[in-house]
Amino acid sequence: MASGSSLLPVQARALPRLFPRPYLWGPAALVATGVLVPLGYLVVRAFEAEPGELAALLLRWRNLRLLGNTLGLTAGVLAAATALALPLAWLVARTDLRGARVVTLLGVLPLAVPGYVMAYALLGMTGTNGLLARLLDVGWPRPSGYPGALAALTLYTFPYLFLNLRTALLGLDPALEEAARSLGYREAEVARRVVLPQLRPAFLAGGLLVALHVLGDFGVVSLMRFETFSYAIYLQYAAAFDRVYAAWLALMLLGLTGALLALEARLLRGRRYARTGGGAARHPRRARLGGWAVPAYAFAALVALASVGLPVATIVYWLGRGTEAVAWGDLGAALWDSARASLPAALLAAGLAVPVAYLGVRKPSGPSRLMERVAYLGYATPPLAFALALVVFSLAAVPFLYQTLTLLVLAYALHFLAEALGPVRSALYQAPPRVEEAARALGRPPLAAFFAATFPLLRRGLGVSAAFVFLSAFKELPLTFLLSPLGFHTLAMGVWGAAGEALFSVAAPYALVLILTSSVLVGLLLRGT
Amino acid sequence: MRFLPLFALFLTLPLLAACADDAGEPAPDAEVADAEGPLVIYSGRRDVLVGPLVDRFRQATGLDVEVRYGTDAELIAALQEEGQASPADILWTNTAGALGAAGNAGLLAPLPDSLLGRPAAFAPSSGRWVPVTTRFRVLAYSPQRVDTTALPASVMDLPQRTDLRGRIGWTPTYSSFQDFVTALRLVHGEEAAARWIEGMKALAPKAYESNTPMLEAMAAGEIDVALTNHYYVLRMQAGQDTTAAAGPPPVAMHHFAEGDAGNLALVTGAGLLNTATHRDAARRFLAFLLSPEAQAFAAEEVNEYPVVPGAALPERFLPFDRAVALSPSIDFERLGDLEATLQLLRKQGLL
Repeated sequence: MASGSSLLPVQARALPRLFPRPYLWGPAALVATGVLVPLGYLVVRAFEAEPGELAALLLRWRNLRLLGNTLGLTAGVLAAATALALPLAWLVARTDLRGARVVTLLGVLPLAVPGYVMAYALLGMTGTNGLLARLLDVGWPRPSGYPGALAALTLYTFPYLFLNLRTALLGLDPALEEAARSLGYREAEVARRVVLPQLRPAFLAGGLLVALHVLGDFGVVSLMRFETFSYAIYLQYAAAFDRVYAAWLALMLLGLTGALLALEARLLRGRRYARTGGGAARHPRRARLGGWAVPAYAFAALVALASVGLPVATIVYWLGRGTEAVAWGDLGAALWDSARASLPAALLAAGLAVPVAYLGVRKPSGPSRLMERVAYLGYATPPLAFALALVVFSLAAVPFLYQTLTLLVLAYALHFLAEALGPVRSALYQAPPRVEEAARALGRPPLAAFFAATFPLLRRGLGVSAAFVFLSAFKELPLTFLLSPLGFHTLAMGVWGAAGEALFSVAAPYALVLILTSSVLVGLLLRGT
Repeated sequence: MRFLPLFALFLTLPLLAACADDAGEPAPDAEVADAEGPLVIYSGRRDVLVGPLVDRFRQATGLDVEVRYGTDAELIAALQEEGQASPADILWTNTAGALGAAGNAGLLAPLPDSLLGRPAAFAPSSGRWVPVTTRFRVLAYSPQRVDTTALPASVMDLPQRTDLRGRIGWTPTYSSFQDFVTALRLVHGEEAAARWIEGMKALAPKAYESNTPMLEAMAAGEIDVALTNHYYVLRMQAGQDTTAAAGPPPVAMHHFAEGDAGNLALVTGAGLLNTATHRDAARRFLAFLLSPEAQAFAAEEVNEYPVVPGAALPERFLPFDRAVALSPSIDFERLGDLEATLQLLRKQGLL
């Protein structure tokens, strides 16, 4: 079949290539400015510093140690998360594992557990007065430092990798593998040389999210007493009333993130993953497990137990220890507050992700790629700095929005947009551009062609995107504390407030409702895809 | 690039706002009627502690009250960024240091003598905030693992206890500890304070983010002694754990000798903000916090000492006069010299 470009109507070709279609560049520009505002704020605050003091603050061995800790933790969590996510995704997408849906659900459920709850649970299980000590008379030492932070962070971030990998594996075209087999490759080599390389965008997208989560986390590392960059930033705000030093640390962290993003961009450059020949893609063939079924189930069960069973068991234990009745009214109100902020944010983020990802994948150019990277910067900005920046900006530009639900929803959507980008990008990489070009050739305007040809292929990716953002917003804390309307009380705030005072039996119902609601949503979305 | 002017516009807006906001002029304290809407409190103290008191005030007066929770520093940062447009009326913090910082940033309005007169013993000389409850620093220890006769008489002796290496807990990032270090500097001098910190560092203490995880760690066997505030120990002893094994409580407290810096008295307090639009309601709320009912609640439910003389204390408390006698006598306002303490902690690599 001849290439499509010579069949395009004349007026379509006369459209200047670089001029933006407003429905593409408009949302993308909104995202970019929404994320550059916090950056501008940090720069302004940073330059309030006195040069002499600043040199003393920045050029310290301590900062180097923080950097080493942060990088070491990130690398460790990436490795551990891959070790959990890749086998699970393979089992679920490429083998005939019975109950694959259940395993998928279990692989995604840890997203429902906030990191600080995971850390509290790990601490609550161990120690001389922990759950294990009470039940089994075994006093395990409490996890702390690097191993503790590694365990807690891996257990609740591996689902990002798992989902991205699973989506990619399910969308693979078997034609390539069959061609490889017909050329004489054995199964293992097919897997290594044909399948794994095609997973690169999914791995990079999911891995980037995991890395950004580790870079930005301060709840887990503070409970595990492991000092990283973002914990140091949080300390400057919280302990030292110092917005200036905090701004400098935040800028250093963003510099680190920028380096990561540049690395990822380089690794992705110039790769094509969509089908180029004629015909249509089929579902990949599923391998038979046979004797491997039992170890496979055991592995899945172990991962589920550690990542979901553990926190839930600890929370139920705390619930049982409580003496006061649960305040159902308060609990219901908290659930409503959490939901009415997270749901709109999830939909908005998924909606904004499409034009941004489309620009990055289909119209790669300097500005469009930059715009995508800027979205990731928004994710990497320490949430406290993000919130303060939005306080300044909204009071200056749109004061009627200050401390309203709208601003909170916007903040969630812009901050978590990076999570929505990954699945949509992976899906776009696999959607062949030729179908859309053919629709254009048949006379449809660009937007209609997109909706007819490409959008249906993005459904799975969009569902995953919205789920990611909902789950993140549902358990979010710093943005909620500073930007929510007065009297707004979410489930996450309830858990944090009580757990911080060791009133675990008060925190338990909130934590349980949070996890249950998130789980239900995860289940529903997985069914939809 | 086409969108450069747009980006530039969005970047300059926060610039303008940030330059314009820094601590506006204090509003004249004219007797203006309260604006519409609820009384807004920014509270650095947690919901589980503050909520019930606010509920009682609502019921007693019928006034509408809304609370925003956060940490002292988050709220002060937010107040500074909000500037004149802040909706907040009252700032209620966990430490006097935070109120000092807020005062220095020009956020607080002067209070009438009728409010400051009651807790006169603890009232700050600046008159910009009113103390609400008192707490004392103590040395918490695990009765199962530590011999009480061997505990030091002065906090300055602690670095010599090499037998406690790796078994000490502290919270260098927490406000109460920082106030304690300020007191060390004031009572013993800068040199001695710096040497004390270095001596402590040599014992490899475990640093916790706040006191509650630290005492939980003690109960779980991670550490044996800890520098903390008295009410955490009382709370842990009176905990909600119904399945606790019978026997001695997991933590107990040890007081240093009379006048020692380790027994430092600290206050929590609240202040009226310059941006307040509900001054009448705010003053009524502050007066309510000093009422016998609220002070008794603080003692019973929150395990903190009152600031108003004459309140009855539960059995588990030390008598008030005894506790005050134990603590060193320092002017509270001088504890507001936080900057030098933070510099010291940074130099020592703790912050």
